[in-house]
Amino acid sequence: SLQEAFAAGLLKPGMNVLVDKPKKLVNNVEGLKQCLADFRKDLPWVERLDLTNLPAANIISQAEEKASAPAAGELDADDDFQREMFFYRQAQATILEAMPLLNRHSIATKRPEDYFAEMAKSDQHMQKIRKKLISKQMIMERSEKAKKLREQRKFGKKVQIEVIQKRQQEKKAMMSAVKKYQKGMTDKLEFLEGDQKMNKESSQGSKKAVNKKGPSAKRKYKDQKFGFGGKKSGKKWNTKESYNDVSGFRAKIAHGKGGKKGKGGKQNKRPGKSVRKKMKNRS
Amino acid sequence: LCLCFIVVEKGSPSSKNQKCKGKERGPPGKWTNKERVLIFSSRGINFRTRHLMQDLRTMMPHAKADTKMDRKDKLFVINEVCEIKNCNKCLYFEAKKKQDLYMWISNSPHGPSAKFLVQNIHTLAELKLTGNCLKGSRPLLSFDPKFDKEPHYALLKELFIQTFSTPRYHPKSQPFVDHVFTFTIADNRIWFRNYQIIEEDGSLVEIGPRFVLNLMKIFQGSFGGPTLYENPDFRSPNMHRREMRLAAAAKVREKQMVKEMQKGKKTSAKEDLESDVTADVFLTPAEEKPADIQTEAPEPKVVKKKQKAFKRQRMQMARR
Repeated sequence: SLQEAFAAGLLKPGMNVLVDKPKKLVNNVEGLKQCLADFRKDLPWVERLDLTNLPAANIISQAEEKASAPAAGELDADDDFQREMFFYRQAQATILEAMPLLNRHSIATKRPEDYFAEMAKSDQHMQKIRKKLISKQMIMERSEKAKKLREQRKFGKKVQIEVIQKRQQEKKAMMSAVKKYQKGMTDKLEFLEGDQKMNKESSQGSKKAVNKKGPSAKRKYKDQKFGFGGKKSGKKWNTKESYNDVSGFRAKIAHGKGGKKGKGGKQNKRPGKSVRKKMKNRS
Repeated sequence: LCLCFIVVEKGSPSSKNQKCKGKERGPPGKWTNKERVLIFSSRGINFRTRHLMQDLRTMMPHAKADTKMDRKDKLFVINEVCEIKNCNKCLYFEAKKKQDLYMWISNSPHGPSAKFLVQNIHTLAELKLTGNCLKGSRPLLSFDPKFDKEPHYALLKELFIQTFSTPRYHPKSQPFVDHVFTFTIADNRIWFRNYQIIEEDGSLVEIGPRFVLNLMKIFQGSFGGPTLYENPDFRSPNMHRREMRLAAAAKVREKQMVKEMQKGKKTSAKEDLESDVTADVFLTPAEEKPADIQTEAPEPKVVKKKQKAFKRQRMQMARR
């Protein structure tokens, strides 16, 4: 087409660049509206069940007082969570609006308990989903436990290190004090006594506090029942003392006197064979 | 059209309480809104598309299936297929290059039609979509207010409403409303989601399927006719892939060019400077001082040495 134009003498001197005509995109607004008018079916709402609404208020973002960017609705399609929450809230708003309308038209939304019908997803599939969810939960729990254990171990290690260091420092201080004394720099022996005094008092004090209660009642009972643990051998020998100890002697029982609990046992005595037969024949 | 029902007395409330598995007839009423949707595809679709089609057929009891169509046939053949099947709406899935999926939605005899590019398909079978609903229950449709603002979106809204809403008293439908379809406009695309209604106060779980529709064109006729609207933001997937490849190629070429320039710099002979441009930098204007020459040596300094006692003695002294 350039050559033809050249032949016709239309081209000016200089560079003539072929420029594409900018693509004209069709937006036939009138046509669209006309088409819509032709095609639209004016069905009652009950047939269509459609609603147009903005998403419901975002409770979570209000609680956190975040400045939510989609205030008027420039939804960022790349922020997955925000986008899905937007859709969720839109559906929620629809439901909240639609419930009263459905009730008015007496369309049920709740399925009665004994209404069994085919579901879109089979029961088998739902079982699979449930299993997957459970396994996910278990994995999370396990990882939580492992984390806690690790933390605890770290903490325990820290404490251990601190105690060791403290001991080392004390030892060092003691040794240096002793050395100083040896070299004659200080002629007071307070450091030795200072430590000992403090140690004795503290240990005795704490022991006293503990010993107030003594062995617990359970311990006492068990000691009484089973004897003292440990050195059992040697506790129950036939010594002179144990042989001469006659405190456990009951004369009545030893000589067979006294009857059986003072005639209290007669209640339980069983009648003889003949008496029992008579009783049986009678009844 | 053969329909199977379980015969139920008219107006008996006990029909809802009967324990029966399978399809049950809805509450007594005449099915007047005769909408039927034909859902089928071309050849060369992959498993995801096939499952999506099956899911849509499950969700819409007023849908019918058909065999795959050869892509060599012209599109207006679809109108004839629809007439044979007595359907007045059609969802046709077309797969190209085994990669791109296009969806046609049209009102069969005369009405408008639209072509979309479908992306981000997730089917019912995904384990992360945990909701469930009655097969054939009627959906609520939820639209973004943006659908009312532009004429082409308004037309699409009407098309969606007529296609996706299950007619009342349809023999295969269940009388309950327990799920919601949402259509939202974001990033110049239409996002479709399907949620199950658990509680009436609005707690929802997603059932699926879910997909994204990217509008290409709207036609006045069914699968043909004058174009009513073209989406200016639409880039065909081929162009998109081409642009990516060009960008990558451009990057590589740039790197090579930079490398060559650096090589050239190193090897080319450098010119010798005759005068030093920076020679004047260190000249500081200052007064000239007379040179002072000392003839005699200076006196030696007297250093007093401090007498320090030994550490032990120092400590003893300190204590005292």
